[in-house]
Amino acid sequence: MPMFYIHQTSCISPQQTFDSVDISVLHQPVEHKLKVIEPVATGIPMGTLRRMSKAVRMGVMAALPLLQDGTEPAGIIIGTANAGMEDCFYFLKQMVDYNEGLLTPGNFVQSTPNALASQLSMLKQNHGYNITHVHLGLAFENAMTDAGMMIKENPRNNYLLGAVDDIPSYNYILNSLAGWFKKEPFALEDLYTLQTPGSIAGEGTAMFLVNGNPEDAIAQLRAVETIHTEEEEAVKQRLKYFLEKNLINGEEIDVLITGENGDSRLLHYYLACEEMMPHTTGIARFKHMCGEYPTATAMALWLGCYILQKNPVPSHIIKKSFSKKNCKTILIYNNYKGGQHSFILLSVPGCF
Amino acid sequence: METAELKQQLKKQIIEFLNLISVKPEDIKDDEPLFGEGLGLDSIDSIELIVLLGREYGITIQDPKEGRKILVDINTMVSYIEQHRTK
Repeated sequence: MPMFYIHQTSCISPQQTFDSVDISVLHQPVEHKLKVIEPVATGIPMGTLRRMSKAVRMGVMAALPLLQDGTEPAGIIIGTANAGMEDCFYFLKQMVDYNEGLLTPGNFVQSTPNALASQLSMLKQNHGYNITHVHLGLAFENAMTDAGMMIKENPRNNYLLGAVDDIPSYNYILNSLAGWFKKEPFALEDLYTLQTPGSIAGEGTAMFLVNGNPEDAIAQLRAVETIHTEEEEAVKQRLKYFLEKNLINGEEIDVLITGENGDSRLLHYYLACEEMMPHTTGIARFKHMCGEYPTATAMALWLGCYILQKNPVPSHIIKKSFSKKNCKTILIYNNYKGGQHSFILLSVPGCF
Repeated sequence: METAELKQQLKKQIIEFLNLISVKPEDIKDDEPLFGEGLGLDSIDSIELIVLLGREYGITIQDPKEGRKILVDINTMVSYIEQHRTK
């Protein structure tokens, strides 16, 4: 049953989720984008820091606190859809602008999605398993599955598991033109009530130190399921199967965290999943905090851990109220652009 | 262009090309070594500087030994630019 146990978490997002965590006050978008609150970069050599793209920089900053005190992970497992994309575009643009002449190496070095995992490896002199999963809206889910398999084989090993995505400027333009982001300005509080197509662009990173040891763990990641489909009925069937397979007799979901993102075209998937929950299940939403991006489920997982740790839950995330005190089992459901769906089951360690 | 003006322009270009966070043109001394001590640049930066010379001043450096003599400090770079620039 155990996939793995989460022992430490770290999150850099458009909200105050790093250092002194305070998510009671919502930070509003800037230029229609929810951009991360970047901490002051410390512990990174200046020569390395100045070559880092934003995604790499924030990923490293989120990961470093988990690797203090001599923690040596046996592997670094990252999920990302777009990390390195900004440098990749810049590098390709140079090829055109300078007629395929002499190109600068800095952007090329950083232009691949595995730039973050490799930078972490070099910074910490970590020679263990090092991999980056790039399955767009399911990149983090695949990273979690990978971590689960690694821990099944080596339960005593620590692994650094995480995800990162920023808002590459070209991607933002293309996604805007494709109608994935709302054109009209709005307050975050209204994201779910506008009933119009499109969401808001976002970015963020979340890191987790995980292993197979339940002692002193924050949470247990019990199962991950993914499906590619646009059919609502297929999503419902998969959720039914997922719950039957993974919930213990009589166990119920205490909180459903959904990736509802204000896009009226995707709302029916979330409502369908909500309707499958018992009436006692509370519902929470998080996309108004971080916006829409392919690996936003890492932020949801961070929020799930935050709730299981009995931290103060602000009213802005609650769609249907729940008892924080009795919250033991959380289900995260998210879909990316209506085609990539995932279910993540999380619970208090050792309660089942 | 006057030498002093060229030096100032080159310092700005180096900062931009190498993304030297929190370094201002006045922080770079004309006779301060660019590599090792001083600005602390490394081998990847040397390639960035060779690209800079090519793009901004039309200078092509083929011989690495030649590069080592040019990329010593701002003075040596400016002196070389003044003699060999094609744009």
